[in-house]
Order: sequence, then structure tokens, then C-alpha cells
Amino acid sequence: MESRVLLKNRKPDRILDLAEYRASGGYSAAAEMLQTGRPADVQEALEAAGLLGRGGAAFSMGVKLSTVAEYAPFPRYMVCNADEMEPGTFKDRVLIHTSPHLLIEGMLLAAFSARAEHGIIFIRPEYENAARILEREVALAREQGLLGKNIFNSGFDFDIVVHRSGGRYICGEGTALLNALEGKRPNPRKPPPYPTVKGLWQLPTVVQNVETLCFVPHVVQNGAEWFRNLAAGPDEAGTKIYSVSGRVRRPGCYELPMGTALSEIIETHAGGMAGNGRFKACLPGGASTRYMPESMYHREMGYQSLSDAGFRLGTAAVMVFDHSACLVGATVNLLAFFARESCGWCTPCRDGLPYLHDLLRRIENGQGRAEFVPMLREMAGQMGLAYCAFAPGAAAPVESLITYFEDEVREHIKAGRCPFREAE
Amino acid sequence: MPKLIIDNLEIEVPEGTRVIEAAEKLGIYIPRFCFHHALGAVGACRVCAVKVLEGAVEGVQMSCMIDAQDGMKVSTTDPEAADFRRSVIEWLMLNHPHDCPVCDEGGHCLLQDLTVAGGHSIRRYEGGKRTYTDQYLGPLVQHEMNRCIQCYRCVRFYREYSGYNDLGVTGIAGRVYFGRLREGVLESPFAGNLIDICPTGVFTDKPSRYTGRRWDFERTPGVCIHCSLGCRTTVSARYRQVGRMEGRFSQRVNGDFICDRGRYGFYYADRPGRPRSGRISGQTVSVDQAVYEARDRLQRITEEHGPQAVGVIGSGRSSLQTQSAMVHLCRTTGWQGPVFRNTRITGAAADTAACALNPENAVSMRELETADAILAVGADPVNEAPVLALAMRQAQRAGAQITAIDPRPLEWPFDFEHLACRAEEIGEALASAAERLSDSRRPVVICGTEITDAGIVLQAADLVAGLRGSGKTAGLFCTLPQANSFGAALLDECNACAADLAARVEAGQIRALAVIESDLWHDFPDRPQLEKALEKLDLLVSVDFLDTPLFEKADIGIPSLTVFEAGGIYVNQEGRAQQVRPAHTGGLPITVTGAGDHPPRTFAPNVPGRDMPAAWVTAFCLAGQAPPETDAQMTAWMRYNFAVLSDLARMDADGVRLFAGGKTPIAHEATMPEKPEQCLELLLAAAVFGGEPMSDYSQCLRELAGLPAVWMDRADADRHGIAAGDRVGLGFENGEVSFVVRISDHMAPGVLVVYRHPDIDWQPRAGDTRYNIREDRIRRIEKA
Ligand SMILES: Cc1cc2nc3c(=O)[nH]c(=O)nc-3n(C[C@H](O)[C@H](O)[C@H](O)COP(=O)(O)O)c2cc1C
Ligand code: SF4
Ligand code: SF4
Ligand code: SF4
Ligand code: FES
Repeated sequence: MESRVLLKNRKPDRILDLAEYRASGGYSAAAEMLQTGRPADVQEALEAAGLLGRGGAAFSMGVKLSTVAEYAPFPRYMVCNADEMEPGTFKDRVLIHTSPHLLIEGMLLAAFSARAEHGIIFIRPEYENAARILEREVALAREQGLLGKNIFNSGFDFDIVVHRSGGRYICGEGTALLNALEGKRPNPRKPPPYPTVKGLWQLPTVVQNVETLCFVPHVVQNGAEWFRNLAAGPDEAGTKIYSVSGRVRRPGCYELPMGTALSEIIETHAGGMAGNGRFKACLPGGASTRYMPESMYHREMGYQSLSDAGFRLGTAAVMVFDHSACLVGATVNLLAFFARESCGWCTPCRDGLPYLHDLLRRIENGQGRAEFVPMLREMAGQMGLAYCAFAPGAAAPVESLITYFEDEVREHIKAGRCPFREAE
Repeated sequence: MPKLIIDNLEIEVPEGTRVIEAAEKLGIYIPRFCFHHALGAVGACRVCAVKVLEGAVEGVQMSCMIDAQDGMKVSTTDPEAADFRRSVIEWLMLNHPHDCPVCDEGGHCLLQDLTVAGGHSIRRYEGGKRTYTDQYLGPLVQHEMNRCIQCYRCVRFYREYSGYNDLGVTGIAGRVYFGRLREGVLESPFAGNLIDICPTGVFTDKPSRYTGRRWDFERTPGVCIHCSLGCRTTVSARYRQVGRMEGRFSQRVNGDFICDRGRYGFYYADRPGRPRSGRISGQTVSVDQAVYEARDRLQRITEEHGPQAVGVIGSGRSSLQTQSAMVHLCRTTGWQGPVFRNTRITGAAADTAACALNPENAVSMRELETADAILAVGADPVNEAPVLALAMRQAQRAGAQITAIDPRPLEWPFDFEHLACRAEEIGEALASAAERLSDSRRPVVICGTEITDAGIVLQAADLVAGLRGSGKTAGLFCTLPQANSFGAALLDECNACAADLAARVEAGQIRALAVIESDLWHDFPDRPQLEKALEKLDLLVSVDFLDTPLFEKADIGIPSLTVFEAGGIYVNQEGRAQQVRPAHTGGLPITVTGAGDHPPRTFAPNVPGRDMPAAWVTAFCLAGQAPPETDAQMTAWMRYNFAVLSDLARMDADGVRLFAGGKTPIAHEATMPEKPEQCLELLLAAAVFGGEPMSDYSQCLRELAGLPAVWMDRADADRHGIAAGDRVGLGFENGEVSFVVRISDHMAPGVLVVYRHPDIDWQPRAGDTRYNIREDRIRRIEKA
């Protein structure tokens, strides 16, 4: 029983086109809001709904909008983050291929709230199909007066351009993304000032993830309470698209009440463990979150619930490992990615991650030594002092590996080889 | 003002002070790589971690990124912070080569210091090191990318601070690379600062590579004398030879940085051809012999023809000591002069600029950085006073609007509006541009003296006075031709320039000339006139540390000491007198025998001592007087004898400001002649590398001067069917000179601009720095 809000119009082989979207009530929320509402109405509804950012940081969108000061300068920018480079995450792509106008309407409403006139969709270059869909649908929306000047005769102007990213993971980080758009190196910026105060070209800019924006028309139309009630628990709000992958029978995107238990996601929706595998661990929210061990199997997968337990839901990209998977090997793999994708700005990340990678690789290859374990633990902890959230994210799998699977690591060292590999 | 506690010590600092700076005030040096007080904090290296025990955000924080706040309690020794700093050093050393003995940074390397200080001495990492290919970056800066620790200081200086874009960062993660897109000569005339600013051995001083460790050098605070700004330097000398020059921080003058002319201009001091012994009629004699011979023969001419028969010529590159001794020489003997100016029109402009400055309107370069509007009139800082361009860029980055009124194709490393007009239209343009300053609160008018005349300088000074009258804190910033042109203007007592003396030689009134550290040959506007005059002389005495053509031609040549050997006081263009201490003793550099072989080394046996006198000592001797015995006595003597110099007593680390105090400048012909029809106006303009008499001796800078070029406005070029890159000949009375053509869309039409170049030795007749050339005397020699 999937509760479909965002994916309710999902078709197996095509997008929901503009006519279908409008027939199903699309753009009516925007029409009404632009004609009769105030910008603050959108912001207030979102804040009351408790819509948290779905790009990984889980920051309240309503609160973020409230930081665009009334007398802040113009023009202002509404940026949709469709970079989706977090390993294991594939929900934004599905959303764009499902209902591009839901995203466009969401951007329109968010822009109205921030009184932004320029919209930019910053999209991962591998998503060329999605980018073309968006370009085409943006043009159609413009033709129908849903974008452009004086939308719905409200006097409000807003238009959208689609910008393809240079194609590195760090470009998806909200502030690095702004530098990238300005044609600079995608090094993150250190707030303050926050992008809503000084973002693109030092002007107020709101950056939101695709999934977050897709909720906006629904919240505006149905209200905060409706949204909160979609969740599985009282401390959560809305639904969440879980991108489930790994050792499950039916990997895919599942839109479920926020806070659905992990066991339910795996067993009821993803078809259970593949083969005769037993659940060993999962990364709950992409590559930059901590491993959840077996003891967490029944945990509710909501932002609040996971953070209470010391984990992060991130993008809710659930990567499932069974008992036959070597987590040392998996972590080596992740670290190779992170060490390669560091923007190169700060020392812990640029030089520390390759060090972590080297140590773990040696362990995996049977050259590990006992003193590597405390080194890994110390350095993984020190990644928290890097310049941006990249390095602590990259260290999360390492740190949780040492915390929950230290025995497995030490077994590698003691045996002088990976116990999961066939002995040579 | 927040009061905080760092390592149990209390300190109060101004609002906005970073914790790392507050600690420094307490004498606690927190490690840093990316932080630099001129470039600011960016939080990249993470080595400045401290623990905030009490404060708004507690825990381990980067001390360069947090402002000191009232009631804050900080520990720099907290184990968590110290461990983290140790890790950062270890991470930085993963890829860093372990070959300090062959790295030229060794001994003054921040990475070396902090690695040792942080206790990282045993390598744990077992992986390999990444390596890079180095680039050829020109004759000044050596590149060794393997040594990079990615602090980003170089690009922050090069691109953000100084506004040049040919050096940058490429790549991400562990492969970030700092260099040019393609190897090649660095375009910035400030590139040498990369050497000072890079905390490791990536960028090192190329000409002086492997000539010594920092501890081998005697390091002396110096002042640059290659333009009128007087930037502070640190002179490194070894074996009685200057080896290296670095920028030295100055609160008021240059801040941290210097230009490459100033950094590499010193090679004149030890070139093989430098005069080191006396010369009489081409015969080498002792210095004393030459001095006595000169004194006696000048004496004889004075007795036979009267004191009016001897003229004395000096320059703005001499120290205040030498200039005042020359004035004293003429006072006591009755000889004519000294004249410190070679040209009439620009000479008068420079004198006027110095005299127009007063304690109210004078601004330092640091103050100029806070200007909110700048109007530059006939000034090209990049070429005439390079570090001024850096100061203007800082003002522009902080929001100042900059307008330039100038005929030249200005290429400045910041945004500005260029009102291109011919030199004689500058006054008019200035009058109508003045209103651009009406909305500003701290406007500065910059006025050059290379292509302007006294009238324009006065107009600029009046504009500033008017702005001040309407309640603005307006400032006047004039650039002058030479390092001590201001001193010359203060001391000048005779209403003449070298051209006047030459005329008197031609008229037979003057029979002997004593030229002391003069660039007469170099900038006298009319070479044939000069040659004729010299021919007519009974006696030419030249005192110099440069082997100028004039020195070669002199009947008696007397060597003098350079600023590195004699020191001296130099007054920069804002009237700031700065003391330079000698950096090494005079005499031949000590040469190492054994051709650089393995030690033990023996030194050449003929080590001459401090065998040359400073020019001011010679000046006293020529007057038949005993010079003051010490530098201190000389300074006292100057204060006593020259009222304008009495404030030298108050000289401190920032120097002391001297003003002309209402002195009326020398009245030469004030304005330039109008341009006749059918003529293009040819401007001879200063170039950053080329045409400054001393730095022209530096081989490494000559390499940067490019080919002699003439710049043309596009319309003028089209009319002549000339394209960029063509070779043209310009016909002057005394022959044709050939140039490569450069074309600009943003210079004044009707003007040709030739930047001074060490390879063009040509003085158009009767010009000053301007010359009217008939259009039919422009001939294409070769197509591009
Ligand atoms: C290293 C890194 C990579 C990120 N990549 C993405 C991304 O690809 N897409 C995304 O929406 N957010 C990404 N984020 C999160 C953004 O910084 C930002 O929080 C988000 O786009 C804000 O939108 P939201 O509040 O709607 O989630 C990334 C963050 C980090 C630290
Ligand atoms: S942690 Fe540092 S190096 Fe890594 S992505 Fe962020 S800023 Fe760049
Ligand atoms: S080259 Fe030098 S200044 Fe530039 S980043 Fe590397 S270490 Fe820093
Ligand atoms: S700007 Fe002038 S004084 Fe300063 S370093 Fe350059 S040449 Fe020397
Ligand atoms: S000095 Fe503070 S982070 Fe580099």
C-alpha cells in the first residue's frame, strides 16, 4: 500500500504531459495562489507542514524561505538542485520522468514566495534525457503562460532555464553549485552569509532539491495538516521516496509514509532480501550516511526517528547489504569515490580521505595492521573538522564500520586476507 | 572592543579581529598556511585549529575563521585541537617531497617550520606520492608543483588581489594544480610576489636559485628606488653582493607586496662593467686620484672663468644626502646648479606636484585603498608606479569607481572607465570629469607627471582643494619620475633644468660640468644638442655607480656607492622620507675560487675593502671640504643646513613626511605645444620593464620587455593601411627607428605611444616626452 503523492501519476513508459497534468488539477494551486495569495502564505504553509529538504540536509523549506528578507535586493533566484550525484539515489530522476510539471509548478510557487524572477534547474549531465524533457516542458509551460511575464495575470514574472552541471559530485552541494553557476570552481562557500541572503552573484537565492519542490503544490493545495498526516509517525511529516538498492528482490523507488520501518520497506515493498541473503546492514540515505546494523532492522525510517538513533536519513537511498557482503570492501569502494570527488579545497578531505582509503584498502587486501584501526577511527572523526559537509559524510561509512563491524575489520587483519573472498 | 582569553592570557582587540590575529598580538603564533593578513581568511588548510572553551560556538574551530568575541575563552594547546593540527600536517606531508636539502625554500619554509614544530617526523603513510609536471613561467619565477600544499594563496594573490588571470587552479581532489593553462611567461608584473606568498618551495626566486639559504644572507630592511613610491623591501646580501629582494610589510606605503621591477631591478649593483676605480682620460687611476684631479681642475676653471663656468647636474635617483651635498657644493663654490631635472615640461610638472602636496591633501597608498572614487589624470600606474595599481585595485574591489583620463592604451588589472583623449586635451577632460567625484566622500585624484605639464598638476591640486572645501576628505596622489624626485624638489634652489645648462654650454658660458648620478644621456630630450654641448666642454666630470654612456665619455670618472652600500634617505612621492641602511660593505663581490667545487673554499686573494666613496662624500671633496664622518653626522648636518629637512629628526619606522611648505616650484615653460596639422603626436611613455635606468641593467627584466613597439589607434592604423604586428619605421630628424605595431581600440586617436624600451636609444629632437611626427614620416617596412 504505497501512499502516492508525488508518484501518483507515474506511468511505466512516459511522462505525464502538460494537458494530463492540468486535467488532474495541476497548476490550479499556483493559479489560485498567484491570483489571490500572498508570498508569505506559501512560506507559512510550508513551515507549518514541516516540509524538510529532501536533498540530504533535511532543513525546513519554510524556515529557509523565511530568511529571504522582505527588503532584500532583486533579482532573486530560485534554484532547483537536480544534480543527484549521491550514490544510490535515483528519486529525482524518476520524479522528472514522471511529472515534470509538478516540479515546474513547485518552482513557480517557491519563486512566488521568495519573489524570485529567475529559475534555474541545475541538472546532472548524465540526466540528458531528463534535461531535454525539462527544456521541452518549460517551453510548453511558457507557451501556455504558466511561465514568463505576468503569470495568471498576477503581475508575477518567473522563468526557468535548465543548466547542465559540469558533472562532479561536489557540484550538488548547495553553495558549490552557486559557484559553479557563476562559472567559478565548485568549491563550497562557508555561510554566513547564507544563500538566501547572498547567493548567486551575491543576490538572494533559494536552493531546493527536486523532491522538496515537488511537494510544494501539494502542500499549498491540501494544507499543512494533510501533509503532516501523510507520515507514519507523529514526529514526521509527509511521504518520502525511498530509493532502495542492493541485495533486495525488487530494487526501486517507493514513495511511502515518512517513517516507514526499514523492515517493512525491504519486506513489503522491495520484495524481501534477494536470494537466501540475511540482512546485515544498510546505508539508509546514500553513501554519506552511517551504516545501520542489524539491530536497527525495525527502525522507522524518518528524519526524526533516525536522528534520535544517531543515524541520518540523508536522501533515503537505502542500500542493503546481506551477510555475504564484505563491508570493508564496500567501504573501500565508497572511499575511492569520495577521495576522487573531493573538491580539493581543504586538507582533511583532499588528503585525509585518500589516506583513509589507503589504510582500508590495505586491510581489505590483507596488508592491514592492528594500529590501523585506531588511526581509522581518529581520522574519520577528524573529518568532522573539514570545510564542508562532504568530508564528514564521506567518513560516516568508515566511522560506523569501525563502530559496528570492528570484528570484521580485525578479522581481515588477523587472517591477512578478506574472509569473504574465496581463499586463493 | 571584545575582550577574550587565549591560553589564560587576556587581550582586548578591535571588533572584527580574528582569533588567530588576537593570539598573535599575545605572542602566540597559531600555525597557518592559507591565512594571510593581506589575502584574508578562507579556511582551506585547517591547520589553525584551536578549541573554543567558552563562546558562541564551542569546540574545535578554525581560528582564522572566527571573530574574537567578548568573553570568549580559547585554548590553543587543547589536545583535541593539537592532535587535529598534527593530522593536518601529516596529511599535507603525504605527497610532499622529503628533499628539503635541494629545495630552495628550505630555511625559510613555513611548511618545514610547522612540520618540525608540530612534531611530525616519522612517516606512517605507506602509499605513493603524486607528482606533477612543472611549468616554465618565465625568467623570474621557478615552478616546482610537487611541493604544493594547496593553500590557494598563490591564486588568491594572483587573481583576486592583483587581478591577473593567467595563473589559476585546475583539477579537483588530490590533483589540483596551480599553474597556467599552458606554460609560458607569467603576465603579471607582480608575479614575483608568488615567491613571498607561497609557504612552500613551489614558487621560488629563479635568478637567485641555489645561491644561498636564508641564514646565509645578511638581511637588511631596504627601500626600493626603482620608482617614486618607495616600497619597503628586504635586501638579502652575501659575499658583498645583493642576492635577492623581497617585499617588506609597511603599514603606510606598499603593504605587503612589491612589483617585479623593484624585486629584480638590483642587478646593476654588481655587474662586471660597474665603475669601481677612478678614471682620468680613459686611464684607470685610484679613486682618490680621480677625486683630487677633478677638484683641482674644477678649481682652476673657476679661477680662470669665474664660478659661473661650472655647472652641476644631479638627479632624482640620488639619496637626499647626495642631493643636499650637491646643493651645498654649489652654495660654497658659486657653481651653477645643481639641476635635478633633465626636461623642461615634465620636470616642471614633477616639481609642481611635489610643491602642491601639503599635510592636508597628501594621502598614502594605504589611505588610497579606502577611497570611494578615484580619478587618474595622465597617470599609468602599472607602468609608472606599479604597486599603486595594486592599491587602486583594492579600492576598486571595495567599491570605488575609477576613471582614467589618458591618451595611452591603458591596461589595468581592474575595472575602470577610460576617457581617452590627447595629452593637450587632458585639462579640458579633467574639468568636465570633476563632477564624477561629486557623490563620493573620500575621493582621490591621481596625477601623473610623465605626460602632463605643470598646468594639469595645478588643476588637479585645485580640484582636490575644491573637494576638500565642500567637506570631502579628498586626497591628491601624484607620481613622480624617480625615487627621490621629491627630495630634489625640496632642495632645488636654482631655477633651471639640464636643458638650460646645455644651452649655456653651447653659448660658451659654462666650460665644465660635474654630473653626479645623472641620467642625462638617458632622458635629455635632444641628443644632438647634448652631444654638441659635451663636445664644447673643457671638462666633464661624472660621478656614478652606473657605467652610463656619460661616464664613459667623461674626462674624469669617479665611482660611487649604490644604495645597498651607502644607504641613504629617499623621499617618496607623498613626501615620506625613508631611511635605508646599507646592506653590505662596498667593494668587489667576494668571488669563490675553485669554480664552485666542493668545500673547502678559498676566497680570491684580492679582496678590496670599502674602497669607493658615496657620491655625497665626493661632492664634499669636490668643494674642497671634509665630509661629515658618519651617516648620523651627515643627517644632523642636513637638518642643520636645510630648513625643509629639519623634520628628519622625527623619522621613525614609518619614515617622516616632509613638505615643501609653500615653496613655489621652478617655473619652466608650463605647457606643451599644440599639435600641428598633418601630424600624429608621439608619446614616449614609461614601461614597467624598460626605460628605468637602473633596472634596465637586469638581464631577467630585459627578457620581459618584449620587442620595441608603437601603439596606434585603430582608425589611424587603418588610414595608413597598417595592421597589428606590422613593422613600421618612424622617421625622425636624426634617422628612422623601427617598431612593431600594436593596435588599440581604447586609446586617443591621433596619438602614437611608444613605451620606453632598453633597446631603443633614441631622443627625438626638441621634444620632451612628446614629439609631433608628420604622417608622411610613418612607413611600413614589413607586413606581419
Ligand atoms: C557533498 C554534497 C553533495 C550534495 N549533492 C546534492 C545533490 O546532488 N542534490 C541535492 O539536491 N542536494 C545535494 N546536496 C544538498 C545540498 O547542499 C542542499 O542542502 C540541498 O540542495 C538543499 O535543498 P533541500 O533543502 O530541498 O534538500 C549535497 C550536499 C553535499 C554536502
Ligand atoms: S570537505 Fe573540503 S575538500 Fe571536501 S568537498 Fe568540502 S570543501 Fe571541498
Ligand atoms: S603553489 Fe604555493 S601558494 Fe599556491 S597553493 Fe601551492 S603551496 Fe599554496
Ligand atoms: S612600485 Fe615602484 S617602489 Fe614599489 S617595488 Fe615597484 S618599482 Fe619599487
Ligand atoms: S589558516 Fe585557518 S584554515 Fe588555513
